[in-house]
Amino acid sequence: MRLASAAAAVVMMLLVACAGDGERAGESVASPTSHVHQHHDDRSLGEPDRPVAGPQGAIPQFLVECEYSHAAEDDPIVYPGEVGASHLHVFFGNTTTDADTTIESLAEGDTTCDQRLDKAAYWAPALLRDGEMITPVKSTAYYRPGIDVDPTIVQPFPEGLVMIAGSAGATEEQPVSIVAWTCGLGIERAAAPPECAPDRVLRLLVTFPDCWDGEHLDSDTHKAHVAYSSKGVCPGSHPVPVPQMQFSVEYPVSGNVDGLELASGGLLTGHADFMNGWDADKLASEVELCLHREVVCGVTSGRKTG
Amino acid sequence: MQRRLLAGFTAAALLFVAACGDDDGTSSATTAAPDTTAAAADTTGAETTAAPETTAAGIDGTITVPDDFATIQEAVDAAAPGALILVKPGTYQEAVQVTTDELTIRGLDRNEVILDGNFELDNGIRILGAKGVAVENMTAMNYTHNGFFWTGVDGYRGSYLTAYRTGDYGVYAFDSMNGQLEYIYAAGSPDAGVYIGECYPCNAVVDHVVSEHNGLGYSGTNSGGNLLLVNSVWRFNRAGIVPNSGSYELCYPNRETTIVGNEVYSNNQPDTPAIDVALLAMGNGILVAGGVRNTIERNLVYDHDKSGIGAVPFLEEDPNDSVPGPEEWDTTCAEQKQQAPVDPGGPILWDSQQNRVQGNVLSDNRVADLLVASAGTDVSTLGNCFSGNEAATTRPNNLQTLAPCDAVGSGDWKDGEYDIVSWLGEVHPPSVDWKTATMPDLQPQDNMPDAATAPAHPATDVPFEVDLAAIVVPAKSS
Repeated sequence: MRLASAAAAVVMMLLVACAGDGERAGESVASPTSHVHQHHDDRSLGEPDRPVAGPQGAIPQFLVECEYSHAAEDDPIVYPGEVGASHLHVFFGNTTTDADTTIESLAEGDTTCDQRLDKAAYWAPALLRDGEMITPVKSTAYYRPGIDVDPTIVQPFPEGLVMIAGSAGATEEQPVSIVAWTCGLGIERAAAPPECAPDRVLRLLVTFPDCWDGEHLDSDTHKAHVAYSSKGVCPGSHPVPVPQMQFSVEYPVSGNVDGLELASGGLLTGHADFMNGWDADKLASEVELCLHREVVCGVTSGRKTG
Repeated sequence: MQRRLLAGFTAAALLFVAACGDDDGTSSATTAAPDTTAAAADTTGAETTAAPETTAAGIDGTITVPDDFATIQEAVDAAAPGALILVKPGTYQEAVQVTTDELTIRGLDRNEVILDGNFELDNGIRILGAKGVAVENMTAMNYTHNGFFWTGVDGYRGSYLTAYRTGDYGVYAFDSMNGQLEYIYAAGSPDAGVYIGECYPCNAVVDHVVSEHNGLGYSGTNSGGNLLLVNSVWRFNRAGIVPNSGSYELCYPNRETTIVGNEVYSNNQPDTPAIDVALLAMGNGILVAGGVRNTIERNLVYDHDKSGIGAVPFLEEDPNDSVPGPEEWDTTCAEQKQQAPVDPGGPILWDSQQNRVQGNVLSDNRVADLLVASAGTDVSTLGNCFSGNEAATTRPNNLQTLAPCDAVGSGDWKDGEYDIVSWLGEVHPPSVDWKTATMPDLQPQDNMPDAATAPAHPATDVPFEVDLAAIVVPAKSS
């Protein structure tokens, strides 16, 4: 029954995805050559009750570590089909991500992730120093129940889900529960990059929404179809609890933060994008085995491969 | 409801069929008789056992792979608690997930039952919150994460296991208690060949292990409490045995690990995969990094570029909690999980304290046979003690006079004081990709006795008793 319904869901999702394509196409009226970023009123619905921080091992999780793949001024969510229309992004996971990427094309790519069945596309704005891109060390995606959400009711991301967390157009500090900077795996959360000790890595942490409307794989803002839970409950408009994915990008930056800037402008515009390219069975399996059974399926040790 | 949907590439189609048959969604039991599986083709030489009995909870008795089911995963999914899954020689490209209590999963030949991840699959066998699962007599290789992995369990045993080329750990127990890891060969992990982490009390025994060509032979972050490492060989890793503390995971500090009767040698290996702390710890035999109340006795430790046995600090630059004081060292892991962390607001230093080092035989450890150091704390106050060790060199000098166990020491702690901070600036041979690192060829390993006929043996009686007093310093093997 499970697989039958999953198959039905897939069909539905494909239909929805087709509708979603139409929406995206309709949205892409911004001049492809202007390089002017279109920013919607793109605040997410809600925000986490508190930053997700502290020692691992208390709540269930599984995680995916991905090497840096490539950089490009492409954004298949915001500027589909428009090569070079975006600010500079750094890509992780799927190796083929570019302006023309679709959910379907992700399946054809390889992945830089240690979980080989995760072909999702993950990306974030490039971090620059004095205008030069800093090549990231790696990314880590933590998949957990939302704060205080019953782990046993969390559903896998639907196939084809895309979403953005954080605001590329922010002009003020964003909530550190959504976008934060930290050193290594430490508990501190800052709205702008701190000076990290030598040999430590600067990390950008973006916490994605953990509730889905159950219907749309995308939306005009790329955010309206998802929301954050509060007090362990998803809002009625977005009733489906999905994993709270916290996406971390590590940069080989310590000490002086002078001259740092995100390619999306300033240091307050942190955000990250996700296109679900997981093998659907594997993602469902990890949600069930790790989150529903409430065990820790992996931890980052704060150590890097030397 | 807990039906696992994914075994691996090769099993996916079969599982699809099996799962569709399981259409009431109320139980993981399969009602298919074993002989209805299409894949039970080769019955030549099958170990004849009593026909499995199907109950509401699954199949009791003995299930043979590939005779009764083509894959280990299918057999596991069909099995009732207490069942014995016998795996015949062959290469199984699976990532097996276990959620059923008290299974015994056994290879008929350790060297010929091979789980191969092909650098694509994550874990050879992963046991998730299932109590009392024993895995015996097989090999896992080429997995992107771990060879054999228990997480969140009460009762586990791994016996006669070989883990070779794995992306994280060879044999790994996390957040688990009451365990036995024995007759293990683990090689080719950037982290530890054998790892037990996040447990107190762990109530576990590591016995008769050979761990080599890993970043660390053994690592145990925040583990201890009736945790014994005995009668094992740790060699040719970057570093040998490294109990350690850190607040990035729970159940700190490392404490009360008992390390007795091991042969630890030549852990200076420059061509292994290695996480950064393995590089930092390189050239040490037994290195307590921020651990407390560990017991290190009657080990043979030789040929290291740095220390034979060291008790050193771990500086955690970006902590998640404050360092617990001695009054909190009795806090169990379960209790600590309920406590909110306290942001210390800056770096923390895990000092190694109250460790007892006695009766070890050390030679040719080129910084010192015995070493104790801190990074700012007066080491004379840390309560580590050293007695009855055969040790030609110590740092500080005359350490066994300065800090004897159960006696009052005397002397000058400044004489030969060691600058441990110098390690932070050292450059080591870089990590080698675990997938391509030069490794010793996999040699045939001892099989468990009577694999074909021994009854099911779930991990409900572990850890096995160890007569610590009877253990003597091992003879030199190399």
